[in-house]
Amino acid sequence: MQYHPQPTAGEARPWAFPAPERGALPNGLTVLRCHRPGQQVVAVEIFLDAPLDAEPEGLDGVATIMARALSEGTDKRSAEEFAAELERCGATLDASADHPGVRVSLEVPVSRLAKALGLVAEALRAPAFSESEVERLVGNRLDEIPHEQANPARRAAKQLSKELFPTTARMSRPRQGTEETVRRIDAAAVRAFYDAHIRPSTATAVIVGDLTGVDLDALLAYTVGDWSGNAGVSRPVPPITADDTGRVVVVDRPGAVQTQLLIGRIGADRHDSVWPAQVLGTYCLGGTLTSRLDRVLREEKGYTYGVRAFGQVLRSTAPGSSSGATGAAMLAISGSVDTESTGPALEDLWKVLRTLAAEGLTDAERETAVQNLVGVAPLKFETAASVAGTLADQVEQHLPDDYQAQLYARLAETGTVEATAAVVNAFPVDRLVTVLVGDAAQIAEPVRALGIGEVSVVSG
Amino acid sequence: MPMGHTATAQAGSGGLTATEHRLANGLRVVLSEDHLTPVAAVCLWYDVGSRHEVKGRTGLAHLFEHLMFQGSGQVKGNGRFELVQGAGGSLNGTTSFERTNYFETMPTHQLELALWLEADRMGSLLAALDEESMENQRDVVKNERRQRYDNVPYGTAFEKLTALAYPEGHPYHHTPIGSMADLDAATLEDAQTFFRTYYAPNNAVLSVVGDIDPEQTLAWIEKYFGSIPSHDGKQPPRDGTLPGTIGEQLREVVHEEVPARALMAAYRLPHDGTRECDAADLALTVLGGGESSRLHNRLVRRDRTAVAAGFGLLRLSGAPSLGWLDVKTSGGVEVPQIEAAVDEELARFAAEGPTPEEMERAQAQLEREWLDRLGTVSGRADELCRYAVLFGDPQLALTAVRRVLDVTAQEVQEAARAHLRPDNRAVLVYEPVEPADETDGTDAHEGADK
Repeated sequence: MQYHPQPTAGEARPWAFPAPERGALPNGLTVLRCHRPGQQVVAVEIFLDAPLDAEPEGLDGVATIMARALSEGTDKRSAEEFAAELERCGATLDASADHPGVRVSLEVPVSRLAKALGLVAEALRAPAFSESEVERLVGNRLDEIPHEQANPARRAAKQLSKELFPTTARMSRPRQGTEETVRRIDAAAVRAFYDAHIRPSTATAVIVGDLTGVDLDALLAYTVGDWSGNAGVSRPVPPITADDTGRVVVVDRPGAVQTQLLIGRIGADRHDSVWPAQVLGTYCLGGTLTSRLDRVLREEKGYTYGVRAFGQVLRSTAPGSSSGATGAAMLAISGSVDTESTGPALEDLWKVLRTLAAEGLTDAERETAVQNLVGVAPLKFETAASVAGTLADQVEQHLPDDYQAQLYARLAETGTVEATAAVVNAFPVDRLVTVLVGDAAQIAEPVRALGIGEVSVVSG
Repeated sequence: MPMGHTATAQAGSGGLTATEHRLANGLRVVLSEDHLTPVAAVCLWYDVGSRHEVKGRTGLAHLFEHLMFQGSGQVKGNGRFELVQGAGGSLNGTTSFERTNYFETMPTHQLELALWLEADRMGSLLAALDEESMENQRDVVKNERRQRYDNVPYGTAFEKLTALAYPEGHPYHHTPIGSMADLDAATLEDAQTFFRTYYAPNNAVLSVVGDIDPEQTLAWIEKYFGSIPSHDGKQPPRDGTLPGTIGEQLREVVHEEVPARALMAAYRLPHDGTRECDAADLALTVLGGGESSRLHNRLVRRDRTAVAAGFGLLRLSGAPSLGWLDVKTSGGVEVPQIEAAVDEELARFAAEGPTPEEMERAQAQLEREWLDRLGTVSGRADELCRYAVLFGDPQLALTAVRRVLDVTAQEVQEAARAHLRPDNRAVLVYEPVEPADETDGTDAHEGADK
């Protein structure tokens, strides 16, 4: 073939993260809407201010069961009828509970938005919470637990939360409850949680898609506008604290062919001015296949299919809230390596972190990272669902609607020195809690020899 | 006609169009313009997959796909990742039974770079391919296999079902990940021969979709790909056709450390690209798609014997497609109880056919899935390549949803009657065993090392 020199880029066409239009309905429901031409599948995200922290003592999992029960029958329809009507719209509906609150996510072709949004409104306004359906959901949830325990990545995440957070903190325990707590949940408990926390005045609906020809105001008025409730009382939000004393916990899986790694601690959330630098530095450490970790662990040594570093917000509070700034993100490195390579892989991983702390990032690394993080935005936000998801994340983290748009500007301004400082501060070699799900008989000794912290073994 | 109303005026094509071109070296090109977002997707399908592999070299097509990211004539090491990601793009590749695809999604103004990169590896991969990358990627792929299949509960179920459903020696008997032994056995020479045999412009389709100037795009494609010589060394895959039904019930019981009993089954279904395959898709959706399906209602809602129950469809064009049943049991429920309920529901459906409401729901679900797939430039680029490579006509991608909506209830019933029967399936049963080295089951720390 004839070789040609590498082409140079053309002129970039401007793109900006969409600015939503914010408003409120007479019932107090906050609404963010965003028109995205061409996106025929509309995404609706509803955030309900019902955090896991609000679950009554001993009833961990009640928020999850309530979220699931929303779509299991209403004052007008049985559970089966509700599911059938929704799928007749070609819609999908998910509801889940996490530390900041409950999220209800609808995706539906725009031609059937009215019908589907009507169903969602019905679920929010008048859920049946029948004893039989709640009992079924509880049984189903109990059946799911062993499946999660068996999954190495899920098992590692559960152990890390238990290690990091004080036992009194909700964050130390599984989001969807344990066998013991889920067993106690009944229809009355679900109803009580709903009555205490679900109301339009503390909820936000985000609607994104091609809204050409849709009279959204009218549509909202006769669907979610019909939902009523009293004004909520604000709850104090406890601060997040974590014990990140450097140590290693092996969750024993005799015979496992791989070791699942999860190495983490907590750090700054999006309200902290260090966030853009932390994002940039974390990307350079482990955002992709050419980042520092995979460059060694995958592309040089072949120990893994891939290791990633990331920061994921656990919960944030509003600036100026009475509880003060109490938000935090989980900062972690995760991946899996073959059993035999566990010791050598961790040794290399620590070497990468030490080298980073000693020598810092290069300008070229920082440049590539900025180009990627900023440049991929139009790709990343091509679908309505991705835009709606990010807008709803901003709402639940108490961020302004233009946060994502501003983040791109701030990333571009962040220098190499700031990014280095942020990532070194985020992943200090002596303040990391390492969870290894793998064959203790084979991996515990090699890991002890590394001196990366006290090593203990728990059963799988 | 069923009652299915359509979500868009033109049922899924949404006014999209595509044009087709062919270079002198045989490279087929499909272009589709869409200026809503300043992005462009490049997708390249090579007509080679695991069905082309020979005995003793399973996994070679996929291992080779990894090597395609290890540098080429003008790109050093994994530099293409740095170049694409540094340009604000994303990239990857995947390998299946019937094809290998490579794709980049770029901001519009970086489209030319993606084309240059794809042409460079199509034309000059062997200039950079060496033992070091081969050894490294062999280890990476073995870890991919461990991570995705060997180290997760039920992880090898698909591999086991495929091996049951397609007889020994059949090109689809093994899955793309291949066996550890074969991955170990692959040599650099195997990889070089594989490239020379299959990675030729006349064995590929290139699609570019999005915010593009078609004339300029075509000129770039001609410039970068035009001088790559065509090559006719390709061996056609072994014939994958099989009788319409299996004719008996095949069965394997697996005793493994899994969290719950499971009943899985693969039903032999019509080839992709046929109206009968679309009818089977609708039948599987009514029976086991979503939360209002017959199996979900029966097993999860009413009998409460399963934690999850559903059907999936693996569409294949060169062999019978597979309808994949997956039921995880609840608590101590035994598999025969589940199996009897599944058989009863399938027999009832074959006898009665879908209700008008069920047809409407299934068609609405499949229509939304199509809108999702065609709603991104990368999804559209991939579908255009798929129809061009497997069926010779990319335009079929834009009308696929119309064909699904055109299927009648009677055809759905006929598909179920003909294929969803006990003598046309391979069954895989999981029976959990206790871990060999069971500890006391508590979660207390022990053996702390000071």
